[in-house]
Amino acid sequence: MRPLAIALGLVLVAINAALAGETVSITLPPESIALKAGAGMDQTQTACRMCHSLDYITTQPGGGTAQWQGVVTKMMKVYGAPISDQDVKLIEEYLATHYGPR
Amino acid sequence: MRHHLDEVTRRGFLLTAGVAVATVVGRRPSFAADVDPLLAGRPLVRYPEKTDLILLTARPPQLETPLSYFDRAITPNDAFFVRYHVFPIPTSVDLDPWRLEVKGHVDKPLSLSMDDLKKFPRASVTAAAQCSGNSRGRFAPRVLGGQWGDGAMGNAVWTGARLQDVLKAAGARSGALDVTFDGLDKPAFPTVPDFVKALDLQRIMNDPDVIVAYEMNGQRLPMLNGFPARLVVPGWYATYWVKNLTEITVLTDRFEKFWMKPGYRIPDTPCGCVEPGTAPKNTVPITRMTVRSFIASPASGSRVAVNQPVTLKGIAFDGGYGIREVQVSDNLGITWSRAMLGPDHGRYSFREWAARWTPTGPGTARLMVRAFNTIGESQSYESLWNPAGYLRNVIEQITLVVA
Repeated sequence: MRPLAIALGLVLVAINAALAGETVSITLPPESIALKAGAGMDQTQTACRMCHSLDYITTQPGGGTAQWQGVVTKMMKVYGAPISDQDVKLIEEYLATHYGPR
Repeated sequence: MRHHLDEVTRRGFLLTAGVAVATVVGRRPSFAADVDPLLAGRPLVRYPEKTDLILLTARPPQLETPLSYFDRAITPNDAFFVRYHVFPIPTSVDLDPWRLEVKGHVDKPLSLSMDDLKKFPRASVTAAAQCSGNSRGRFAPRVLGGQWGDGAMGNAVWTGARLQDVLKAAGARSGALDVTFDGLDKPAFPTVPDFVKALDLQRIMNDPDVIVAYEMNGQRLPMLNGFPARLVVPGWYATYWVKNLTEITVLTDRFEKFWMKPGYRIPDTPCGCVEPGTAPKNTVPITRMTVRSFIASPASGSRVAVNQPVTLKGIAFDGGYGIREVQVSDNLGITWSRAMLGPDHGRYSFREWAARWTPTGPGTARLMVRAFNTIGESQSYESLWNPAGYLRNVIEQITLVVA
């Protein structure tokens, strides 16, 4: 009888542990998108990736300088992206050149 | 197009009892990208606890459900779309230390474990979740923002505690106005606004269908859909359905931080729209969903055989009045025929529909679908437009190649 009681007790402890301590973990697949090669690509990649993957750029409708200036300004003013004046110009030009109107 | 359509005349829509007639011949596209220029080039990816979904963005993850899943009322958990706003997102949650805090302007602040949450009476609602910007990629003129196709939507049976029960237990004090909801997704970059949403307290206390859900289709929530608990606000766009929920705060004022203002707002006009390309004078928060309907099967671009009946299948939904009727047209909307509705899962749910159509001549056929809800709202031929790309509910269509 006693071994049976101990065994039952252990089973109950195990069930309790499983109920109380459920942990769910996932691993996100790596980001795989690459930007088009060109002057300003490195700066663009570094600045944008601080907060999001590069498909945020590549899936947008293509647009000229005005569109991308607006986007970069929003990223800085609204979300506080720290981009130097020098890089801002490079990034805007890079985006308008490589992700321009289609 | 018209010419071809005229060739395929004298077809009747027959109501069927959902008897599947296997008439789709040849290759069936695996998903809409095969014929949908917006989705062309977007890879199918498999994220944890998910099946193959269409990748919009990786960090934060935004994954779209292929249209083929919308031939049925309930969207499987592993096919349900994913949309986060900030990064990082939670990737590991231990239920032991996890708590849902209820605080602010309340008599009795609560710190609820999952066991505590499950002690509230269980409530279930079948409800459609749809991203405010679903189908944004189809706006003309184009607008910036997540360029979704039509798969940022899904329908599930949500089970959890009624939010009004939770708030009653905490005892919201008089003078309380808004209630905010915050989850485990916290931006790494300190200047990026945390994703926090607000609902009016009275709206919650009058609506027993708003729940803190810990089950989705009878299972725990997938991490990417909000494990261990998320808000469910039936009828309203999914922006309010805060995932990985940890904090509920009762406020004595209106909450107007970034994701409520200027984020997620529509023009303050009856249609929530403005002249394409113009800016609205005033805006209000987006809330209730518009009426939508889709043809999911056969997939657009499929080949069908002359004189062989085809069963068209899809879903329709609205912002909580319930779908009264679904109609299909094969002549650009000159005439419409009533489709047969599937089981009623409640006014917030996708409503399955089916209709039988027989092509009588070769060519390209265009099939359209529209729905009406119980207060007579429907869909229009012309797309509405607003600068954020919200509320899209134009009449959808597919093309079939009749050979």
